[in-house]
Amino acid sequence: MGMGGALGLGPLLSNLNASDRSVNPLAPGKTHFPARAKRVIHIFANGGPSQVDSFDYKPELYKYHNKEMPGESLRTERKTGTLMAPPFEYKQRGQSGIWASDLFPQVAEMADDLCIVNSMYANVPNHEPSLMLMNTGAERVSLIRPSMGSWVTYGLGTENENLPGFVSLCPGGVPVVETQNWRSAFLPGAYQGTHIDTENTLISKLIPDIKNKRMPKELQRRQLDLIQQMNRADQQTQQHDPDVEARIHSLELAYNMQIEATDAFNVEREPQHIRDLYGDTLHGRQMLIARRLAERGVRFIQVWHGAGQPWDSHSEIKKNHGRLGAEADQPIAALLKDLKQRGMLNDTLVVWGGEFGRTPTVELPTPGANAADTKLGRDHNHHGFTMWMAGGGVKSGFQYGKTDEFGFKAVENRMHVHDLHATILHLLGFDHERLTFRYAGRDFRLTDVHGEVFHDLIA
Amino acid sequence: MLDEQMSFAHKLRLLALSVSLATVSCAFSAEDAKPPTEKNAATPEFPAAQIEFFEEEIRPLLADNCLECHTGTKAKVGLMLDRRAGWLKGSDYRKVVDLEKPAESVLIKSVSHTGGKDIPSMPEDLPKISDESIAKLTKWIGMGLPWPEYDKPAEADPKQHWSFQPVKKPELPENAGHPIDYFLSKSQKALGVTPAPKADRQTLYRRVHFDLLGLPPKFEESQKFINDPRPDNVVWPELIEHLMGSQHYGERWARHWMDIARYSDTKGYEAGGRERRFVYSYTYRDWLIKAFNEDIPYDKFLLYQLAGEQLVDWEGPDKRHLAALGFLSLSKNGKQELVLDDRLDTTFRGTMALTVSCARCHDHKFDPISTKEYYSLYGVFLNSMTEDQPTIGDAPKGPEYDKYLKELAEKQKVVDEFLEPKLEKIAKENPNIANRRAQLIGKLERPDRIKLRNLERVVDKFVADSKMEADKALVLKDRESNINQHVFIRGNPSRRGELAPRQFLEIASLSEEPTEYEKGSGRLEMAQDIVDPTNPLTARNIVNRIWMWHFGEGIVRSVDDFGTQGEKPDHPELLDYLATWFVENGWSVKKLHKLILTSKAWQQQSSNPNEEANMLVDAENRLLWKYNRQRLDLEQMRDGMLDVVGNLDNTMYGRAVKILEPPYSNRRSVYAFIDRQNLPPIFRNFDFSNPSETTAQRPNTTIPMQALFTLNSNFVQNQATNLAKKTESAEDRIKAMHRAVFAKEPSESDRHMAESFLTVFNSEMGDFAERQTETEWSYGWGAVDDAGKVDFKPFPHWTGERWQMSEQWPYEHNLYRYLRADDRGFMHPGATESESAMYQWRAPADLKIQVESVAERSAVGKGNGVRLRVATSSEGVIFDKVLEASQKTLPVNIPQISIKRGEFVWFILDANGNTSHDSTKWDPKIVDLDGNFPAWQESEMFSGPAKPATAWSAYAHALLNTNRFLFVE
Repeated sequence: MGMGGALGLGPLLSNLNASDRSVNPLAPGKTHFPARAKRVIHIFANGGPSQVDSFDYKPELYKYHNKEMPGESLRTERKTGTLMAPPFEYKQRGQSGIWASDLFPQVAEMADDLCIVNSMYANVPNHEPSLMLMNTGAERVSLIRPSMGSWVTYGLGTENENLPGFVSLCPGGVPVVETQNWRSAFLPGAYQGTHIDTENTLISKLIPDIKNKRMPKELQRRQLDLIQQMNRADQQTQQHDPDVEARIHSLELAYNMQIEATDAFNVEREPQHIRDLYGDTLHGRQMLIARRLAERGVRFIQVWHGAGQPWDSHSEIKKNHGRLGAEADQPIAALLKDLKQRGMLNDTLVVWGGEFGRTPTVELPTPGANAADTKLGRDHNHHGFTMWMAGGGVKSGFQYGKTDEFGFKAVENRMHVHDLHATILHLLGFDHERLTFRYAGRDFRLTDVHGEVFHDLIA
Repeated sequence: MLDEQMSFAHKLRLLALSVSLATVSCAFSAEDAKPPTEKNAATPEFPAAQIEFFEEEIRPLLADNCLECHTGTKAKVGLMLDRRAGWLKGSDYRKVVDLEKPAESVLIKSVSHTGGKDIPSMPEDLPKISDESIAKLTKWIGMGLPWPEYDKPAEADPKQHWSFQPVKKPELPENAGHPIDYFLSKSQKALGVTPAPKADRQTLYRRVHFDLLGLPPKFEESQKFINDPRPDNVVWPELIEHLMGSQHYGERWARHWMDIARYSDTKGYEAGGRERRFVYSYTYRDWLIKAFNEDIPYDKFLLYQLAGEQLVDWEGPDKRHLAALGFLSLSKNGKQELVLDDRLDTTFRGTMALTVSCARCHDHKFDPISTKEYYSLYGVFLNSMTEDQPTIGDAPKGPEYDKYLKELAEKQKVVDEFLEPKLEKIAKENPNIANRRAQLIGKLERPDRIKLRNLERVVDKFVADSKMEADKALVLKDRESNINQHVFIRGNPSRRGELAPRQFLEIASLSEEPTEYEKGSGRLEMAQDIVDPTNPLTARNIVNRIWMWHFGEGIVRSVDDFGTQGEKPDHPELLDYLATWFVENGWSVKKLHKLILTSKAWQQQSSNPNEEANMLVDAENRLLWKYNRQRLDLEQMRDGMLDVVGNLDNTMYGRAVKILEPPYSNRRSVYAFIDRQNLPPIFRNFDFSNPSETTAQRPNTTIPMQALFTLNSNFVQNQATNLAKKTESAEDRIKAMHRAVFAKEPSESDRHMAESFLTVFNSEMGDFAERQTETEWSYGWGAVDDAGKVDFKPFPHWTGERWQMSEQWPYEHNLYRYLRADDRGFMHPGATESESAMYQWRAPADLKIQVESVAERSAVGKGNGVRLRVATSSEGVIFDKVLEASQKTLPVNIPQISIKRGEFVWFILDANGNTSHDSTKWDPKIVDLDGNFPAWQESEMFSGPAKPATAWSAYAHALLNTNRFLFVE
């Protein structure tokens, strides 16, 4: 947006170079090369969704159901036993004929729009480090590093200064490792994720201080005019100072944000058929909010399934995954359809997945942890898991990489989380090796010293 | 000399947020990326013909296609193609030439674009080079990379880098005047830059107040100073002394050091709900405040923080200095190697501006620090344990403390009774570790470990919550027997290299070669090496940082990196002068303040009549041709707002307070509870330092979230309301407000603006204020008489998140001890029926409504249940049931009520005769059956007192939002 004109501050801001990022850290940034995606919606199925129950079809599991897995056994967090067939029915979907289960029946029907990576892998079978790896590229919880959303916002700035550049929607509280998942670490605070608890429906509870409760908007405008009048009067005796001008500008932005943000989070403004598409549920509402934010130029939107680690089904995969899938399926499918019908899927990259997947084998009771309640669940699995992307310049109706015959370990076209990061940054127009920030004598980057762009995934 | 001084030419600011074009990755990750050895780096002699081939065919090719990116230490992917050694070394990831099979070389594949996805095609953004050129390159590689001997790149020996040279005090001619101005004016004159005139007394008074105390000036005191007839050179130094004598000075300057010390009141992430708080972190903060106020010489200040436990008598009067070790011990938790790395990094970046930590996985890429040296220092920290917490404060006495001790003992007993038998058993089974407690605990079975953790959590939480313990210090102590650390190859603890004897860095040991430490861990010796006057970095580092805290930017702008990748000093002579002067003056920080504050440089205006000309030469103001206007930081802003309205609580020291949660503390921000894991967004929105790693300089950003806080938050508006109240009786209220906020009289134009604002606001606000008092839900208590008539009394006290009977809860008065309502739909009744808790809902129109709700008690099976009633103005009680003790929930649904505008519905909860376990979640939803209004859900609409702004409070609020208040000129 034209900064001066739109705000009626033209002459005042004539000296302010809006692209001076030392003054305005959220001004649009330059990419290294033309971008395929302008924004990211990262749907985080936190806790670890099971690949063999969703998008990684393994016929052998039916043959070996209740039998020992032949060959080498892999270490995961807890002990597991025999192989367990998926309790969700698999079918081939769409033109592409991709096999997908009924865990996500509506998403599965969108298979022709998905770019499914079955060969993801991470380093360890524990939630905390794997969450940190997925979100910051640095596995160790005590190594505080900027999150992917912060890096992207640092690189790209925002298209809409009336909203935060990076938003993390998580209903009911925060995930494991808490706000570290969207922290900006040594990057300036302007790049940190703004957490929004989508269990709230009142806008005043969604964003702190978004509304002045003591005077109506028209009078706040009067007050703001007075503040700006005094600022301008004082400026007569001062010389050009970008910091002072930036603050004058930011007051106007904040004023507009009150209107814009209120609007962005108000799903009631959507026509009934769109609200029906997403469904009148918590997840439907938050996915619709995600789309409204994307539409308004928010760069990086993370949509978490919930506080803690909801997808962590150590027991009763059928019941627990079934419930979670039912919560998430329609909203996710709706998002894809909706983005598509608005022409937004072209430049919006949707990413779905957890911090890792789950074992094809059944989890055995572990004394002290889950002895009482474990039955027919699966343990954490970082050796191989599935993520999918859609839109934003990736191939569609495409399946990439393979796990072994039981879906345990990625064996073909293995893609590490660092590679995923490199590829996402590439789609956004950045060379992951050149998107760096100097701190403590070093040039840091999201992928540290790793990562490779997987061009095979790119359309 | 001048060239050296002008080396700043148009570099980006240290924190400029541009995307760096240079990639300098951190580690050599690939297995084959070995740094060149002496042997292969040496250039053999080549036949003249080959050299000629290189000069004619290859060199131009490189120049045109490669050297734009692959030159010098900033070469992309670490590949330096401007020197033969660079070709041999390859990139950070792999070798690029194969001398045996030249055509197989990665580089040849890269330029022929045949490397597939593994090898990027080069040159980037340029046309592919010709096949002929590729053939020549291949041939040249086959020759063994002939390169002329004389043509070594002009790469300075990093040991010759400026910051590693001894500090030399520059000559100061007689009549030089103030040394700071002497050195600055030399550069200013040379470049034709004119400094700004001196600022007036009014401006300077406000500036120095915020600078030294972090607080705004008072009008009367400011006037006294302005009108003092004595000359500046008398009153100014006097004022500086006076302010430095204030206790608030230490509160301001301790906070600067806390940024370096990555101060936090929590350890970081702890899984499984373990206690995260450091119970005694505050003793370190308090020690810092006192240390600054007492002006402890800086060398001693560091010694106490690095090895204080070896310098003081633990039982003597000096034992308070033990708290200084918080500098090391308040590190973030995690794996040992990362905890120790954090201590090491904080120490060396903090005190010597040296990024020693870069050498953790490989030799420092730019500075002369080897991995072995890193592990030499690591060994020092490895042998320093944090188990002891000696008491340094007075032991609390009295019955309350005795009670606390008793309770604590009981809680601890539970742990012991569980743990001791298990340990005894393990000790019997493992006699070799029988007296190593930590190892025995490590051998507990998983379920026992979890049980133990849960039991210990109870004790830890009790201690942290009680705030009863005497002050303790979180000290480090040397191990009894010390061990040397092996180098971790590539930073990996499972790959061990050679032993690294504990000793100091060679580069900072100017007087002699470093020798192995002999005393304990060597930590005290290391500390002494750091503060040794011959150490070239320590004094330069601190004078540079103090300079930054006064001017906004350092003389060396890369404040925590004096290495070869950092910036050079803008004024090297001045830096060295200040460093030597500081040491000569007994490392006195206060004396240094005075020297800086008495300079013309610091006292000049923040605008300059020659701005335009100066900007052309030095847009970044590195020559200090004006004072850098500065926005108040988070602490100055918050403390300042509290102070100008007379609300600042000046209580000093002690346990941290939460400033963003009720009951909102009005103490200074330096006492704010800092949770490094979940720092509230408001802190980072205002550029607060990162409490997880040492912070050299806070970012300086301007974002709308800051303005949302100043425009809309309750905190800022409450201060405005207070200011309005305070000035109520003033004859000239505009004047009174301006004096309070700006320590200045309002100008004529200020008055005009104020008057027209007040008039407009008053005329337009009336309607809103009326609407505001009509909120549908209100909260209170009272009784229902036999006729079903409800006597509703609003709760008198709002805590910021709850309505209750008074500030204190539970109250002394036994009857309505627990009465309250909160925003999660919970309410709690008083003891008798006449102290029922109530929600009152007022109908905004004539309506047909329906009530939906489920009341829920979490304490099923306890107490005797609660009684729930619903009543309306016209019909009295229409619902009356008991939620029994055995029940968890009770639906309260009323299908239809007809109600007139202004009538009420009450939701009434009473204790059913016994007030224990009566906390009940009751969150009624009222639905308009005609669908004209959205539903009224109690918990979502729950709010505090909606006191509408008045014209005067809005005016005061505006003043607090002006740049005049939020910037220091």
